[in-house]
Amino acid sequence: MPVDVAELKQSWTGFEFDRVEFPVTAEELAEFARAVGESAPWFVDPAHPDFRAVPNFATKYHGRRMWPPDFPRLSKRSVGFDGGKRVEVHAPIRPGDVLTARSQIHDIYGKTGRSGMMVFIIHRMEFSNQRGELAALVDWRFLQQPDPD
Amino acid sequence: MILDLHNHSVRSDDGKARVENYCQWIRRRGLAVDGFVLSEHRQFDAESDYRPLEDEFGLLILKASEVETDYGHVLVFGVNEDLQAALDFARVDLPLADVLRESERCGALAVPCHPGRPNVGLFAHYAARGPVPGVRLVETLNGGSRSGENELAGREAERYGYAGIGGSDAHIVSHIGRCATRFEETIRSAEGLVAALRAGRYEAIACPSTSPS
Repeated sequence: MPVDVAELKQSWTGFEFDRVEFPVTAEELAEFARAVGESAPWFVDPAHPDFRAVPNFATKYHGRRMWPPDFPRLSKRSVGFDGGKRVEVHAPIRPGDVLTARSQIHDIYGKTGRSGMMVFIIHRMEFSNQRGELAALVDWRFLQQPDPD
Repeated sequence: MILDLHNHSVRSDDGKARVENYCQWIRRRGLAVDGFVLSEHRQFDAESDYRPLEDEFGLLILKASEVETDYGHVLVFGVNEDLQAALDFARVDLPLADVLRESERCGALAVPCHPGRPNVGLFAHYAARGPVPGVRLVETLNGGSRSGENELAGREAERYGYAGIGGSDAHIVSHIGRCATRFEETIRSAEGLVAALRAGRYEAIACPSTSPS
């Protein structure tokens, strides 16, 4: 039976299904920056007066679940694959911050390509700091190919 | 006048190129195109205003759409409010017959793109379900085609008597200008483009310096 993308979107988007706290340390900020090839002192040197996270730092953190409970699996053949990430930076992340990540399914949409029908599921993690300021949005784009009819 | 009739900007979910960067690339590389069309996936971008970029770079920038139908992907030129009200551009299963009919009714023009491509090309569906009345032209040169796809498109277009247009299907900056369409007349607007395509005085061209692999 073909997947009803509009129904999926209506049923599963827009509600929080996971919430996790992450205390941020200077060591992990510097380590992540070096791992992605950064050398600027404000990203790799904790003694720098403007020391902070590289823009994609929040992608380091994962919630406890990728999907809401009972989220349907669209394929018997595979669980799907990573379709890339998108990061929006809103405020600097610094050592000592405690980030709260709230997860929701932000969007679900279909498209067709050479290999057939694809369904894109956007899992959005919204990171806010201990002052309640929005620090970053991370969209995990996950792709599933429904089984043929 | 040469226009690249099929490109995507960051407004498309898989587009990586900003429109300004397309303009810069065309000018820095001295590409032989006078303008290009942005055909964003499953939507019509009614908001963006590219007139400042047109003035700065001396290029014509027009907006269209690439919709998804039961016979593959289709470029729609001359999209207007009437057509937006008539079709749900976000759907991936629009009936091609509806897209053709409503485009005609609203003064737009629907052109199946990359018709030689598996699954999302018109001729893959013709093989199984036969031709669709109302198709008059197709994109015979697509810059994103794999080996054999444009050749199949050209052969089948000739067989069915369809005219052919060219477009790069660029999603990244360096792919613009790979394929284009040469018009006998000067085009200044989306309506003018539709009129020129209806008139039939054009040819699809693969740009020699940036031809597709």
